[in-house]
Amino acid sequence: METPGIFWGVIGWMIAWGIAGSLLLRQRYFARDLDTTNAGFVGAMAGAALGPVALIALWARTPQLTGRIIVGVTLLAVVLIAAAFAFADPQNNCVSNGEFVASQITNGLIIGIIYGFMALGLTLIFSILGVVSFAHGEFYMIGGMLVYYLTAVWLPGLNPLAAVVAACAIAMLIGATFERLMLTPMYHGRVDRPVEYGILATFGLAFTLQYLVQALHGASPVKAQRFIDFPRWEWPAEAAAPLVQTRRGSIEFFDLVTISNPRFVAAVTCILVLLALLFFLHRTWQGRALRAVAQDREAAAIAGIDPDKMNMLAFALGGMIAALAGALLVQAFSWLPQVGAIPAMRSFVIVVLGGLGSLPGAFIGGILVGLVEAAGTGCIPNAQKAASYIPAYGMIVLTLTLLLRPTGLFGRRFAGGAHGQF
Amino acid sequence: MASSDGGPAMRPEFQRQIPNAAGVLLILFFALFPLVYTGGNYDYVMHVLITAFFYAILSASWSMLAGYAGQFSFGHMAFMAIGAYTAALFGHYFWITGEATGLCREIPFFGNWLVVVNPIGVTSTTLDQDCLRQAMTAWDGSVSVTRMPIWLGIVLGTLMGGLAGFLVGILVLRLRAAYLALFTLGFSEIVKAVISAEIDITRGQAGMELPPLFPDGVTLFGQAFGPTDKIPPYYAMFGLLLLCLAILTWLARSRFGLFVRALREDQDAAAALGVNTTRYKVVVFTITCAMAATAGAVQAHYVQIVTPNMLFLLQMSLVVAMAVIGGIENFVAAALGAIFLQIMLEVLRTSFTIGGVEVDMTTWRLVFFGLLLMVTLRFFRNGLIAPLIDRFRRAGVAAETVEKRTATLTGPGGGPHRADAAEVPE
Repeated sequence: METPGIFWGVIGWMIAWGIAGSLLLRQRYFARDLDTTNAGFVGAMAGAALGPVALIALWARTPQLTGRIIVGVTLLAVVLIAAAFAFADPQNNCVSNGEFVASQITNGLIIGIIYGFMALGLTLIFSILGVVSFAHGEFYMIGGMLVYYLTAVWLPGLNPLAAVVAACAIAMLIGATFERLMLTPMYHGRVDRPVEYGILATFGLAFTLQYLVQALHGASPVKAQRFIDFPRWEWPAEAAAPLVQTRRGSIEFFDLVTISNPRFVAAVTCILVLLALLFFLHRTWQGRALRAVAQDREAAAIAGIDPDKMNMLAFALGGMIAALAGALLVQAFSWLPQVGAIPAMRSFVIVVLGGLGSLPGAFIGGILVGLVEAAGTGCIPNAQKAASYIPAYGMIVLTLTLLLRPTGLFGRRFAGGAHGQF
Repeated sequence: MASSDGGPAMRPEFQRQIPNAAGVLLILFFALFPLVYTGGNYDYVMHVLITAFFYAILSASWSMLAGYAGQFSFGHMAFMAIGAYTAALFGHYFWITGEATGLCREIPFFGNWLVVVNPIGVTSTTLDQDCLRQAMTAWDGSVSVTRMPIWLGIVLGTLMGGLAGFLVGILVLRLRAAYLALFTLGFSEIVKAVISAEIDITRGQAGMELPPLFPDGVTLFGQAFGPTDKIPPYYAMFGLLLLCLAILTWLARSRFGLFVRALREDQDAAAALGVNTTRYKVVVFTITCAMAATAGAVQAHYVQIVTPNMLFLLQMSLVVAMAVIGGIENFVAAALGAIFLQIMLEVLRTSFTIGGVEVDMTTWRLVFFGLLLMVTLRFFRNGLIAPLIDRFRRAGVAAETVEKRTATLTGPGGGPHRADAAEVPE
């Protein structure tokens, strides 16, 4: 960085006004007897983005804090950080090199979609059961392992699609069995503290699954074959710089960004399954029942839905979603019994950021985290430090969200499920 | 229960003393064990026991935090690591020399010089020796160079762990259940990332070496022990475990324990009844985290190396599993569970062969461990050891209560709250 003084000065200024804004505005809204839910967050962001000017304006007028204001000030704060960075380090790759920026953003989006998809499973479980599943990473790992074993060891030559479906089915079965065997006592007050019981039980499942796979498979990394080869294809054909161009192992857009085949396939499949999932949740009886239980357990029971059945369905679906993410990514990354830890941590960050129990929040949070991660990897001058700190960025976002706005971006005041409380 | 069916069983008062007697016997056993045991694998057995005591401290303090106060923190190992790394960094960067080096940052210190060594990282491109080593090469042994006392590092580690626990305790005041678990997990990951990333100072994954617990040897019972002998660290860790258990017992029996349990059962109700929930939550975090940090600092000096790998989630799961299997709401049971399981894990290490298939027990034992954890959670909600203690503790209590009840109804001085209630004049 050429002039770190500028960058850190701006950051320090933003932090100082952010803290001041969050404290002052909450107090002001409280004193005026207004809704304080978003006051702290908006105060922090407005202070960070515009300094005292915005704070005085908000202080004087105390407007109703709508979504538009929240998004606006947050974007302004982000733009300010980016501008400070660009001024401080004009030679940096992600300021001067447009192609690099484009490919970083694409990579961030792709990985963000997959993260978001995985977090969706976690948030689905939380919205119904009120439990954060600590075994989410292990379902991811199991999905990948099953696909590898099905296509490469047990049934060589098996269609990858069939293997993915089989892996999902097995993960669903594991999820449903675990829920029936282990989680049923927490529904009817048979354990003192159901949420903690659920956390510990999923923790035990994670531990057992991880070591079971390690005992059966060993610790050597594996990787599945590419599921499909793209045909050679260009559009528009015979152009000097085609808009879309495919090779066997990659796809290129606008002659600018290249995405590797496995990632592209994984992201597209995730989006397709997400659409199917949305269809299921909004258009079928079972899906509507699930959402009803998430909103109000007792009311759903009165309307003739068996909430306990929905618990099983939610846990099985959540496990299946994680397994599917793993099954799609086993062709892109090498696979180990411990591979689930990192996506599980990301999912935790994402669901808290998006609001525990909020489905759109999980997906948008996933894309945000993917982009932030891409920016972090690409822009930080010291590459080695950047790599070590990447897990920490997400966790800092998580801790800050929990402190500033525990409901996350889209969360409800009280998360759903019988046991959801802060 | 044996006593209540009126057979030739022991009297309940007697039975109630059994856990105490067993505790005394167990303490005596562990206190005398190193002196009596003469197996060929002496050092190995000692090492297993020291590690078991280390986990017992962590598991007992975690059960105070999670089982008594209901704060399910998944960052306990982070505080342990903070203690260990404080001790390591302190011992690594602070030295006392007889003369000024002229190279390092240094201040006069009671006739000597307090030297702060410059961090050079794992592989420095320009330096292969830090400033103190350079000065020592120049002096060639003519100037005395002493390291900081080990105990000071441990005390500092404890204080840092307590401070970190205090700060985290303040931050998590508003968070409950799932949110608390995620926050503490996040904290743990941040600590791990910082330790791994600041390679210049913490040497990252390479880890930091520490001097042994007693670098100059120690004389116990008129017998001299060298720095690598197992008996001094054994008694140090065992004494620390007993101290921690004593403090926890004292806390649990005082009003503090009562309030903290009220916090667990219903935070809002406790607050409404006048319990300062904020204060007790922060205090319980501070104390238990300081204990974890002390254990970490002592263990770091014992194994003589600290690495960020001590923050793997596996380590935390071990502590959690030990506490749950022992009995999460009873820290003595949690400590016993930790000792028992650590020994079992070592015993189960030997692989065996069934029908030509070799079973590699180094991983399978952890699978069984996980299964045991789940079975315990599902069917023995108070763990496996705590109900055993309770069984003796509560011997005859039911019969006594019935007796007292009947006495209040019929006996002299019967309270007005029972049958007489109907006769209370208007």
